[in-house]
Amino acid sequence: MPISALFRPHIVSKPRKTFNFRCGRTKVRIRSARGGYIQNGYHVNMSHNVGFINRFSSSWKIFIQNPLGKAGLIILALFALMAFASFWVHLLGPMYDPMTGVDPAVSHSVGPNTSHWLGTDFIGRDIFCQLMEGAKIAFIVGLASAFISIVIGTVVGMVSGYAGGIVDILLMRMADMVMVLPSLVILLIIAALFGQLNIWMIVFLIAILRWPAVARVIRSQTLSLKHRPFIEASRVAGASNMRIIFKHIMPNVLPLAFLYMTFRVTSAILVEASLSFLGFGDPGQISWGMMLQWVWSSGHMFQAPYWLLPPGICISLLTLSFYMVGRAMDEVLDPRLRKEGKE
Amino acid sequence: MNRIVFMSKKTVELFILFFLILTVLFFLFRLAPGDPVTRMVDPMLTPEDAAHIIEQMGLDKPLITQYMIYVKNFFTGNLGFSFHYGEPVVQVIMARLPCTLLLFTTSTLLAALAGVFLGKISAWKKGSRLDGVLSISALVCHTLFVPWFALMMLWVLGFQVGWFPLGGIISPELWIEESSFLVKALDVLHHMLLPLLTLFIIHVGSYLLLMRSSMLSVLKEDYILTARAKGLTDRVIRNRHAAKNAALPVVTSVGLSLAFSINGGALTEQIFTWPGIGRELIFAVSNNDYPLAQGCFLLIAAVVLSANLIVDLLYAWLDPRIHY
Repeated sequence: MPISALFRPHIVSKPRKTFNFRCGRTKVRIRSARGGYIQNGYHVNMSHNVGFINRFSSSWKIFIQNPLGKAGLIILALFALMAFASFWVHLLGPMYDPMTGVDPAVSHSVGPNTSHWLGTDFIGRDIFCQLMEGAKIAFIVGLASAFISIVIGTVVGMVSGYAGGIVDILLMRMADMVMVLPSLVILLIIAALFGQLNIWMIVFLIAILRWPAVARVIRSQTLSLKHRPFIEASRVAGASNMRIIFKHIMPNVLPLAFLYMTFRVTSAILVEASLSFLGFGDPGQISWGMMLQWVWSSGHMFQAPYWLLPPGICISLLTLSFYMVGRAMDEVLDPRLRKEGKE
Repeated sequence: MNRIVFMSKKTVELFILFFLILTVLFFLFRLAPGDPVTRMVDPMLTPEDAAHIIEQMGLDKPLITQYMIYVKNFFTGNLGFSFHYGEPVVQVIMARLPCTLLLFTTSTLLAALAGVFLGKISAWKKGSRLDGVLSISALVCHTLFVPWFALMMLWVLGFQVGWFPLGGIISPELWIEESSFLVKALDVLHHMLLPLLTLFIIHVGSYLLLMRSSMLSVLKEDYILTARAKGLTDRVIRNRHAAKNAALPVVTSVGLSLAFSINGGALTEQIFTWPGIGRELIFAVSNNDYPLAQGCFLLIAAVVLSANLIVDLLYAWLDPRIHY
């Protein structure tokens, strides 16, 4: 076997865990250590590419031991249930449509009763149905915008860390610049100039204003990976920069990117809710922020606690649960922190 | 010498950034659908006045000339006339700036001080019940939805209990009456307490968490062990050796979290009808008062950038290990 094949683990078609061969008369059986495999009798250590399932299940065990992570996950599941339930709300009848459904029996905001569990708003729409619809929008906004910002941030961070030099300086200066801009204020001024923004536009704008924090973290991680033997080995073997970045560096920074995604979700939900609260959200979508805006602008905030409390509690609780999941993931990824917790 | 180079580098960087923001804003105003003339000139003006403003802003000239005039106007303090107030924008914003600065600096400083103090204790008593309570409440504070929380404060402390006024900065009767400065100042303070408390609670959590984690990593350093070996008391180790070093990253975070605080500040101002820049911006945006919105935006950007500069310089001054 050519020695260069050692440095190009990706050419292997079928990794094996064990390898049997003869050495003189004795049969030798080599078992690969965890995280590597045997190829033509050589132990190929691919520490950067350990079995994903293995790694995931051991991380999961640590994650679920953390009370913060467990609580966060349970709350998230409840909200996800709410969001899914909103797809079937219309089956209850047109009266329960969160946007257009008006109860003909009520002409003003009423408190919780048997037909409206959380009461109605000032034109007789059911608050609980609006709350479920809002959960859906919050998930869409949070996850979509966090995903976009993670993609941008990860790519920028990896390229900047790997390339170094002038590219690094330029990209990081740009990140610094975007980082200090207050996103809500920018969204407000864009809303003023371009009129009502639709929900996807808001998602996209939040994402492009919120990638720098991710880029910085990914960059520093890339810097520490850049001089590890497996990266240098693949460079020696002639892998292109693109290949090294996306094939070898990316799998190693992805867990960190996922961690940052949970924090991005939190901030995206908060920014969208604030924007809708100020009356610049997508008028075609009911979000929790918009519900609060209705309470406020219709002057019900001191009279209708049943209407004021639920949306705010939902926003705070959802963002808190994402944040808790993020903190728990942080401990999984950073063993230093984990020890701290157990001491 | 190095320090001077560092400072001037930072300042130059900042100016370039501000210039970029200025430029982007200029093109955003031209890119937006509709006629830029209707954006900058009040539709209620007489044709002669309108023509005067168009000439002053160069709105009838080619784009490059317009841009030059725009930059020149900005640096000479001419940001156009507010549609709603009918006054120069600069005058309107300058009247609002002190209110914002008052509320903002007080709350940020108080929150940072309290956060550092509580974070120190929390890290020192790691694993205790006190630490648990502090960390969880900091997490909750950190993820609170600002407008809702402000409304709750207003509802509970302002409306139900009635300790605080429901908004504004000063009681109207005091404003008109000839009363002494002290009475007025106390009244402003009374009006300020509720928004101040709201902003404080929102911000204290993140400072606490940051200080806690920074303190925990400092406590593992060798010099803490040395200090213990020397037989220093816990108090000296905690306050002089650990906390002082741990507080440094918190200083940088003040600058980085400023964008976040500005968002929260604008929302808080809006709900407590505090006559600051954030509220003015929201008002301008809702009423299509474009010159005013532009002015407020530029001012906020300038404030954010200069605060970042101050934080950078402060950090360099506090930490002698920094390489410029």
